[in-house]
Amino acid sequence: MACTKMSLAEIENSGGPSGPPKQELPVRVRKQLTDTQAAWFLLTPLLLFFVISVVYPVIETIRLSFFDIRGLAPERFDGWGNYVKLFSDPNFLSSLKVTFIWAISATFFSVSIGWGLAMMCSLNPRKTLIFRVMIFAAYGVSEAVSGFMWLGIYRPDYGLLNGILEGVGLSGWTQPWLGNPSTALGAVVIAYVWTQVGLPLMTCFASIQSIPKNLFEAAYIDGAKSGSVMRYIIAPLSLPGVRVAIFINLLNSLKAFDLIFILTGGGPVRSTETVGFFMYRESMLNFKLGYGAASTVILLIAVLVVSIPLIIKRTGDAK
Amino acid sequence: MIGRTPRWIVPIVGLIAMIWIVPIIGLLVTSIRPISEIILGWWSIQEFTLTLDAWILVWDKYPLAYAFWISCKIAIISTIIPMLLAPAAAYAFHFLKFRFRRLILILIINAFVLPNQVVIIPLFRLWRDLGMIDNIWSVIIPFAGLSFAWAVFLVKNYLEDFPYELIEAAQVDACGPLARFFYIVLPNSLTPIAAVGILQFMWTWNGLLLPVVFLRDELPLPALLARIQGVYDRNWDQVAVAAIITTIVPLMVFIIFQRFFTAGAQTKSGSKE
Repeated sequence: MACTKMSLAEIENSGGPSGPPKQELPVRVRKQLTDTQAAWFLLTPLLLFFVISVVYPVIETIRLSFFDIRGLAPERFDGWGNYVKLFSDPNFLSSLKVTFIWAISATFFSVSIGWGLAMMCSLNPRKTLIFRVMIFAAYGVSEAVSGFMWLGIYRPDYGLLNGILEGVGLSGWTQPWLGNPSTALGAVVIAYVWTQVGLPLMTCFASIQSIPKNLFEAAYIDGAKSGSVMRYIIAPLSLPGVRVAIFINLLNSLKAFDLIFILTGGGPVRSTETVGFFMYRESMLNFKLGYGAASTVILLIAVLVVSIPLIIKRTGDAK
Repeated sequence: MIGRTPRWIVPIVGLIAMIWIVPIIGLLVTSIRPISEIILGWWSIQEFTLTLDAWILVWDKYPLAYAFWISCKIAIISTIIPMLLAPAAAYAFHFLKFRFRRLILILIINAFVLPNQVVIIPLFRLWRDLGMIDNIWSVIIPFAGLSFAWAVFLVKNYLEDFPYELIEAAQVDACGPLARFFYIVLPNSLTPIAAVGILQFMWTWNGLLLPVVFLRDELPLPALLARIQGVYDRNWDQVAVAAIITTIVPLMVFIIFQRFFTAGAQTKSGSKE
């Protein structure tokens, strides 16, 4: 940042509208930028990026969703046509169902496992630090890489899961976990939960750490067992962290794409195809851009509905 | 810290953590055993040989070094942009008065909820018309643009506790609004800027959707990994090496700086404890 090296005078003179030099003044009066000028100077580069990659695409996606566009052919206005088609397309309806199951189950399991672990860890923060980092590390692994790891577990021929089942004498249960439409979604959700638990673990843990310590002292003096401390102090008072975790996990799982792309590519027979993935298939593989755009608008509406409390909170915070 | 700990806590959490890293161990073991043994399962112990063959061969077989270089370029540039621009914007929003301030702020910080999928189709058409498909900037620009939602929020949240007296003192000493930013606010908000950098680096390094859609040959590591997995062959050991190389950089960053994440995740979501 070269600016920090500049002198004060240079900075003030560089951006400001400099009037004619007033030689007659004994002390040179420096012209300062007004707040408005400075604000726009600082904001413009960011706004450029923001408009190109957020404002324009959102508006354009909504516009395109009313057009029939196939590949490079000229676009044709189609009114609500795409939406009518979407809601009579069994593949889209199934992707809505998959997204719903996916988001609810992934959020439920990640947050409850993460919260439970956070409560246990908070009883002995020092000795469990290394374990927290181990579990949290999965969140740092790229989803593409986690996908590869879980392929090694689910593979029908020499995957770990089938290996274990055979080892304990349950050979009848072995199956191609990702190739069977009835188990594929569950298998991908488990892999996804594996990557996500670190986040609720950390937010809930931080939330527990901020509980005033004298509450615990009081409880122990009154003879409370650690079970009831967990039940009556830690659990209710860590709810803010839990709420944050639910929001973030729900939003993330609605957008999920990477892991599904690697593990199943939406298959078998579209049993793991979420709306986010449906959009990719229709617009990038089948080149029906307008149709894909309409499906993203539905996804956007779902995301907005879920995040209304968050949006209200953030809007209120924006003082 | 919290007092009487039941004894079962540490072993139980330890056991869960051990189960948790099984996939990671599987990946490491797969990369150092010959393919003939992996076929029986990476955990099998009838024969156990260690070999670094895959680690040596993989560089010729896949353009791994090139993808690593692309990943570095994309992640570093799209990390630096928000690290520079987000604090400037947060300062403007927090300490300066101007028209539309609240409207722009609300628009930016609420863009946090936007799924990447929403921006894909229009940007794809735009990049295609501009001839920018397969240009790393086609990925960097949306990576940066989408990051401001939480980056600005994170820095601005930090500025809420910034001592206003410092600003006033500088004002009395005839510092203009820009000088107040560069001399007073910027040097004192390195903590949230570092948090922005770390989170953004991880997300851009790991991102798959945007590179898969916008890039063809200039593939960063996760996209390359996705592609070589799709090609059906049995070089599991070599793909494992590629996977380890893909994840080693963000994982290191992640473990070294994991303390920042708690703060980051909390502020990002708007909870103020």
